[in-house]
Amino acid sequence: MYWEKNYETLSKNELTDLQIDRFNTTLKYAAQSSFYGNLLQKLGISPGDISDIRQIQDFPFTTKQDLRNNFPYGFLTLPKKELIRLHSSSGTTGNPTVIFHNRHDIDSWANLMARSLYCAGIRETDVFQNICGYGLFTGGLGFQYGIEKLGALSIPAGAGNSLRQIKLMQDYGTTVAHAIPSYLGRLHEVFEMHGLTPQKDTLLRTLVIGAEPHTEEQRKRIEDLFGVKAYNSFGLSEMNGPGVAFECIYQNGLHIWEDAYYVEIVDPDTLQPLPDGEYGELVMTTLNRQAMPLIRYRTRDITRIIPGKCKCGRTHRRIDRITGRTDDMFIIKGCNIFPMQIEGILLKIPEVGSNYLINLETINDVDEMVVSVEVKKEWFKGDIHKLDLLTKQITSMIRDEVLAKPIVKLVEMGSLPQQEGKAVRVLDNRKNGI
Amino acid sequence: MAYEVSIFLENKIGHFERITHILKENNINIRSMALNNTSNGWGILDLLVNSPEKAYNALADKGVSVALREIIALEMKDVTGGLDDLLLKVSKANVNFDNAYGRIIQENKAAILVIDVQDVEDSKKKLQEAGIQMLDDKNVYGIE
Ligand SMILES: [Zn+2]
Repeated sequence: MYWEKNYETLSKNELTDLQIDRFNTTLKYAAQSSFYGNLLQKLGISPGDISDIRQIQDFPFTTKQDLRNNFPYGFLTLPKKELIRLHSSSGTTGNPTVIFHNRHDIDSWANLMARSLYCAGIRETDVFQNICGYGLFTGGLGFQYGIEKLGALSIPAGAGNSLRQIKLMQDYGTTVAHAIPSYLGRLHEVFEMHGLTPQKDTLLRTLVIGAEPHTEEQRKRIEDLFGVKAYNSFGLSEMNGPGVAFECIYQNGLHIWEDAYYVEIVDPDTLQPLPDGEYGELVMTTLNRQAMPLIRYRTRDITRIIPGKCKCGRTHRRIDRITGRTDDMFIIKGCNIFPMQIEGILLKIPEVGSNYLINLETINDVDEMVVSVEVKKEWFKGDIHKLDLLTKQITSMIRDEVLAKPIVKLVEMGSLPQQEGKAVRVLDNRKNGI
Repeated sequence: MAYEVSIFLENKIGHFERITHILKENNINIRSMALNNTSNGWGILDLLVNSPEKAYNALADKGVSVALREIIALEMKDVTGGLDDLLLKVSKANVNFDNAYGRIIQENKAAILVIDVQDVEDSKKKLQEAGIQMLDDKNVYGIE
């Protein structure tokens, strides 16, 4: 039933005691970083001072901007020789967000990931195909280590190349696959194109979907298309990556692992904590990370704690689907993108103006990011090749920056709405298709 | 030297008409045209007009992305096979072009072929060496 019964079914009091204990340990590490070292001194709090978990609220929030401002080592608690891995956001504009891990952190993450998979009914007898980019992106290695920890046979397939994905499924009898929801529609099309159906032609029984917000209707559609159960996975790189919260077989919210994270939902305006059941911004504190603990990190994701107990018997509370963001980040093709990144790229290209518009559209069942930019009049010389080349150049520069390939549309100067101040740069017209 | 007026045009309703309207208001006559659409939602409109500079200024004034491009205009006979005869000579001269469009000057007698090339000077040289006659601007735009 459980991967770690002793942790997953702790009573409320036991869980709180464990959190207090682990938060004190976290502070011990945090005190060795320059950022939190200064903060603790300023607050007059020492590791070991915490006797009530609500004391966490005496700490200010940590933001993505704090991480960027203190790039790269300001949050690091250990000498570099103790570290074994880093994961970093992509990007060439501004400082990336980087998270360092020592061996303990990687082990603990892999364990949370294994626990997550186990709770969705995945076992060591499964063959798990990870259809997900490896590298700096946490979805690849995060799942990889979890699958191995669980003991299932892993197929580190990587992203894309649908025909090869299907062949792998058939050759090795894949029973579980992990992918972003928007890719699965495309994958199913390729099944159809070759006269195949996942139900008859594969052993697939479970899909894990995450990294992209999706609706209950999308999940149902994926389950129908593939004839499987699809489980929702939640994570963010600042909190390791995947394995932060996961659906159990009852599919009614995602258990967020409270022995590893202290979870708050706060009002995005007042920043005051909200009771269970109310929607607000998810704020998280790592409780079991050594190299780079984060205290009260503002995830910018909007969700709520689902009140009540889960039938599975796990006592860790459940969060609901992510319903939005408190900043302008959007997710497409599984990549987290800020409009500022696109703007930064366009500023480097003298042939186009600084005005731009991002349309998120569903084209042929695939979610696409269409970036419209104005061609400067003075640059236009009537040469179609140069314009084609410019389109390709912008496409590849944006792709290098945000990892998702955009569709770049050149438009006439002055045809985009003039935008001043807090401009609307992103129009989301996605049809909630998969 | 002869010029065409090149215009960056989004493939949207009314955008083409906006251009022709500006030209009409400025009494500019379009002699010939070619619209080259890409699959990316935009294209380039090449116009042969009686007064390229005037057209350029009128369009630029209205904020249109417009350019004057030097073109090469070749004479051909307005008879069956006239284009083929000319193209055979052009290909023998080893001149490649991206875009081409024609216009009749005198019914059943003379027509011109406008070609858009990457390197105007080089192409002119090759055509000259091959003995192909190039037309001056008066013949290209017609007499006002
Ligand atoms: Zn449950």
